[in-house]
Amino acid sequence: MKRWAGWLLSGVVAGLFLLPLAWMLHASFRPEPMIFQTGPAVWLEWEALTVNHYMAAWRRARFGQALLNSLLQIIGIIGFGLFINSMAAFAFARFSFPGRDLLFALVLVLLILPIEVLVIPLFLTARDLQLTGGYAATLGALILPFSAKAINVFFLRQHFLSLPTELEEAARVDGAGWWRIYWNIALPSIKPALATVIVLDVLTHWSDFIWPLVVCTRAETRTVQISLANLFTEPPIQWGAILACAVMATVPVLLIFRFAQRHIVTSDLSAGIK
Amino acid sequence: MKPRATGIAYAMLAPALLLLGLFVVWPLCRALFWSVQGVGLLNLDAAAWNRGANYSYLLSDPRFRQAFLNTAWFVVMVVPLQCAGAFFLALWVNRPERYWRWLRTVFFIPVVVSMPVLAVLWTMLYQPAEGTQMGLVNAVLTTVGLSAQDWLHDPQLALPALAFMSIWQGVGFQMMIFLAGLQQLSSEQLEAARIDGANACQRLWYVIVPGMRHSIVFVMTATTILAFRLFVQPYLMTRGGPQDRTLSVIQYIYETTFLNRDLGLASAGAVLFLLLVAVITWAQYHVQRRGAA
Repeated sequence: MKRWAGWLLSGVVAGLFLLPLAWMLHASFRPEPMIFQTGPAVWLEWEALTVNHYMAAWRRARFGQALLNSLLQIIGIIGFGLFINSMAAFAFARFSFPGRDLLFALVLVLLILPIEVLVIPLFLTARDLQLTGGYAATLGALILPFSAKAINVFFLRQHFLSLPTELEEAARVDGAGWWRIYWNIALPSIKPALATVIVLDVLTHWSDFIWPLVVCTRAETRTVQISLANLFTEPPIQWGAILACAVMATVPVLLIFRFAQRHIVTSDLSAGIK
Repeated sequence: MKPRATGIAYAMLAPALLLLGLFVVWPLCRALFWSVQGVGLLNLDAAAWNRGANYSYLLSDPRFRQAFLNTAWFVVMVVPLQCAGAFFLALWVNRPERYWRWLRTVFFIPVVVSMPVLAVLWTMLYQPAEGTQMGLVNAVLTTVGLSAQDWLHDPQLALPALAFMSIWQGVGFQMMIFLAGLQQLSSEQLEAARIDGANACQRLWYVIVPGMRHSIVFVMTATTILAFRLFVQPYLMTRGGPQDRTLSVIQYIYETTFLNRDLGLASAGAVLFLLLVAVITWAQYHVQRRGAA
């Protein structure tokens, strides 16, 4: 009896989390007048379902362009960011040099800065650097300010510190330079940590909103989230197209999550705080 | 013994530190500078010291106070409910069988879906009743015999509606951190408490909660700061309305910059906000220090 109650409760709670998303998926295929229709019957009218909203959303939200912009933004941030953050982390973990502790303390202070607050001066700094207006400039503004990231420097440094250094010392004796040791020995040994950083960065920047809202001023520079927001606020409001766009903005992250779930090690997220 | 290699160390640090300096430290300094200047977005060169007028204006502006109160109310609603909810979900699904691992994934899915998508979705779920047409929330409520509400346009309900949706979205993240903490608890202690005849409540209060002190303090601080950063939900779902009842601090700063173009005032708001975040972080640090001593 008690066992059954447990199963039932867990089913209800799981429904609370899944139902809104199931509704989004199903409603995105319903004709416009049926979207807000209630009652269980609406879930069963299979013949009425249509893919027209997806075509409308793709066209009106310029979804292909937006998807490309988001991909370029994320690839840029991760590719460039992983390189410079891991290099800085390696230097903090391996060398002693004047000013190291002070610089590292500064990086730790930057950990808590919420980006939303700095959007205004950041925008004007980007403008001074000619990173506003054109397509390439906007892409630069989307990527450059977020490639260097204090949290990633900190996180990767912890992983470099936990590596045994015998192999690196042996390479040193054999005459390998520090660049080779960083690139060929240290970096490959922290692959799991790099994977965690990549997955978390993809999820974070896919949902970026306030910064792209400020810098993506031209239609062709919009990211996926901004295109969705635009479709949502610009008349005429077509609920079906908005839902279809929301589904298309969700499928990529769910796929990434499905295949990369094991790299999200939440114990790592809070590890630095202890 | 760490090798001394000043040149190469600086070369490896340079790209990341220069970018952090340019895009984090420099903007921060400019915000501090502008916060005590009379300066507009379009005439930076005409900036002039104005004796802290921005700060005194902000502290007496009823709209800024409203924004702060709304955000604080949002925090007061979200933090306890989300943290407690996450804690009990974690205790509940902390079992090895496949079904419970699947359930964990289910609770985590809204965290993965981006906030703008969920803001748009929940605007539709909260749709008021128009004839037989209504959003899913009202459909469920009327099915169980409650009355439909206009969630996002009712001044009393709008902010709680945003809070509920935000708790739903984020609770899986906190749950995962609690799960990691639970798995580091010593099972001997729990077993010993069980053998000594402690019931479930006593085990929870005397063994589990003290053992998870670090996770609890971390999750509460992180949730508080995240909740104070409220922006996407009111920006997309209510535009700060009705009657400014969901206007958030970040939204106020954003509007002051890009609609009113008052850079000095917006910077002062940003600096006050950073002070708040610093105080919360400092408090967390001290609570944890005291616990460890």
